[in-house]
Amino acid sequence: MDMKKFNFFDETIFKKPVSRRKFIKLVVSGLSTLMLSNYFYKAVFGEGSRFNGRKKSNIKGNYDLVLASGKDPYQMTVKAIDAMGGMSRFVKKGSTVVVKPNIGWDRAPEYAADTNPFVVAALVDMCFQAGAKKVNIFDVPCNAKERCYENSGIKKAAEEKGASVYYVDDWNMVEARFDYESPMEKWPIFRDAIECDTFINVPILKHHSLTGLTLSMKNLMGVCGGNRGQIHNDIGRKLVDLTDFINPDLTVIDAYRFLSKHGPSGGNLEDVINIEKLIVATDPTLADVYACALAGSDPLKVPNIAEASSRSFGNSDITKANIFKINV
Amino acid sequence: MVKRLIIFRRVSQIVFLILFIYILWSTTYPLNGMLPADTFFKLNPLIMVVTSISERIVLPGIIFSILMIIFTIAFGRFFCGWVCPLGTSIDIAGSIRKNNASRKDIVNKNIAMPKFFVLGVVMLFSITGFQFAWILDPMVIMARFVSLSLIPTVTLGLDKFFVIIIKNFQLYGAVYDFYKTLKTSILGVNIYYFSNSGIIFLFFLFIVISALFLKRFWCRSICPLGALYALIAKAAVLRRVVYKCVECKKCKSNCRMGAIKDDLGYDKGECVLCMDCVYDCPQHKTVFTWRDPRIIDAGIKDRKEGMTRKNFLLLIAASSLYAMGFAKKSEGIYDPGIIRPPASLKEPHFLDRCVRCGNCMKVCITNGLQPVLLESGFSGIWTPQLVPEIGYCEYNCTLCGNVCPTGAIQRLSLYEKKRVRLGVAQVDRSTCLPWAQNKECIVCEEHCPISDKAIKLKEEVVGGKTILRPYVETALCVGCGICQNKCPVRPKRAVRVYPEYADRY
Repeated sequence: MDMKKFNFFDETIFKKPVSRRKFIKLVVSGLSTLMLSNYFYKAVFGEGSRFNGRKKSNIKGNYDLVLASGKDPYQMTVKAIDAMGGMSRFVKKGSTVVVKPNIGWDRAPEYAADTNPFVVAALVDMCFQAGAKKVNIFDVPCNAKERCYENSGIKKAAEEKGASVYYVDDWNMVEARFDYESPMEKWPIFRDAIECDTFINVPILKHHSLTGLTLSMKNLMGVCGGNRGQIHNDIGRKLVDLTDFINPDLTVIDAYRFLSKHGPSGGNLEDVINIEKLIVATDPTLADVYACALAGSDPLKVPNIAEASSRSFGNSDITKANIFKINV
Repeated sequence: MVKRLIIFRRVSQIVFLILFIYILWSTTYPLNGMLPADTFFKLNPLIMVVTSISERIVLPGIIFSILMIIFTIAFGRFFCGWVCPLGTSIDIAGSIRKNNASRKDIVNKNIAMPKFFVLGVVMLFSITGFQFAWILDPMVIMARFVSLSLIPTVTLGLDKFFVIIIKNFQLYGAVYDFYKTLKTSILGVNIYYFSNSGIIFLFFLFIVISALFLKRFWCRSICPLGALYALIAKAAVLRRVVYKCVECKKCKSNCRMGAIKDDLGYDKGECVLCMDCVYDCPQHKTVFTWRDPRIIDAGIKDRKEGMTRKNFLLLIAASSLYAMGFAKKSEGIYDPGIIRPPASLKEPHFLDRCVRCGNCMKVCITNGLQPVLLESGFSGIWTPQLVPEIGYCEYNCTLCGNVCPTGAIQRLSLYEKKRVRLGVAQVDRSTCLPWAQNKECIVCEEHCPISDKAIKLKEEVVGGKTILRPYVETALCVGCGICQNKCPVRPKRAVRVYPEYADRY
């Protein structure tokens, strides 16, 4: 800088009048800088757009619920979906499908903390056979996401079948909006979970200290952003609202291995029981109720099922359901 | 004419700079880079020797640094001119301003002296048991800057650039797919944040900017590693020879290290073999050769510059005073109350062994390891600390121990690491939701990675309602901090980890 031209100790520099042209230039440039920075700030950090939730497709299968039992989780999934009427009933040609497994924990598949990778692989295969354009797989894990995707075996199994497995970006969220009063109002939900043609929810049946069991409704927490710990307060109502918002078309509960204690993270092979079952249903409530019966616990003690039955959200009575059982 | 040797040098400098950044860039989960994360630190004799002396051990990496010393005896201070990534940055900064090497008055002043003082102080401290190489070692300064400041800034900038474009123009198709592949391949899945990375950047910036005042000022005057190499290079075999010099003094005024003096004598310890003088020589009579100058009769004047007796005594007096002061002080600060990485050494040994390279913080998958500023005293600046609010210690992860170049964090197997205790969690019943407000919350319990659950739930009936209230089973807790990280209570978490009962090695 030329110090001779610009001298702070020279008082005249402050007494110099500013010309009109210069003043206008200053104001315009200042304002436009402010506006631009504000614009960019909003583009990057601003509030997401608001969504009303996925539309109900109301596709029904041949049965209300199919229970498959056997030794091979891949074949069990294929046979159960075929009994339901085939994947082409749920997945249209050229559509985008979201398969949402539970990839919550940094555990190997044997520990039964994450969904069985063979079940996910079978679903991806069937979606592509039915003519899906794209199968997206994601979750918001509790542990470090790279480790969870890797060690659960789901990333490898699904990518081999051609699905795109990716991480949820916290800037790519939309705000949930409900027609009724809901504690989940304005909760950030991952955009790709809503902007899809078919949503397949693939939870694993396991123990949970608050809800008793982690089931399909609880698994949908994996598309939420924000301070997720807050969902645990008044969890029943929040989960039912969330399920109503996401509207999964198909619920596949992996009960091949069952983590009976110390859930949801587990970590001890002694707590894992092989019950070698798989539940497929279109109604998430029915799937959850049946899974409770499978695990031998009272469905009404699970807060979200109690809430769903009191609101008559879905069918929470097994006796009224049309159930088909197959052995693979 | 083609300045072939200068081109070689520049290529070598750029290659090593890129290699250095690549190694640090790949120091992240799953740690599958081509070279181990501590490659450059193992090649650094200052860190290896000083840490070995101050800890009274022999670090296994010292073999590589001895290799560097042998190379230096053969070639001279080639490391500074051809390899050092900080030297390359300084050269790039110095090339912005032309003609600043010709400060003729400075050449004859003994500005090369301070670096020997720095080296002397560092050495004396290490003999009394303090490792202070971290404060001015060039490799460490550069690594800290790249790991904790440059890479986070670049990844954040690129990420935000894509976010603006995708969000603004609604490009959720191909551009979003490209963004996702970019993130999983090069950019890294997470964007990391490091506290006081601005100060780390300023530290680097001052050193690099000093090149605008005088080319390679840092290397000539302050760098202790340069001083160590200079001492060794005085015995170097490769030497500069001028056949029948016409004494035009062009090489002297252009020398960036001031190695060529007014009487055209040449200080081998100062020369970094930048090869400028070979091409500055109008008669092309300057060469670097291994042959004995007495045989080729080049009429060379070697200069011998060293420390005067007065300076030496001054140095010893000053540094032993400092050392005594630190010895007195550090007795009282063994427990600064911060959570150290898993399996780190006992606090005085940890401070001594840690060279503040930032590898553990760069590699930490949850971003939980952060540089401390003054929380553990002056001698603890930029040592790692686990901040559970930012990230917890991943139960199945051993990365920080695997990248530590000096073993300040012990390298343990996964089985051993899972049993290492970082501290103990405590539930603050005055803010915890189930305790203070009778609300449902079991977040800490469900995240606890111990298979038997170190956080257990107590069923209590309050007003006809059963509430599950968490409490910590101290014997099981390893203090990983995931409960503190996931606790939904803000701003101060209701379950917190304190570093008491920590396993230190």
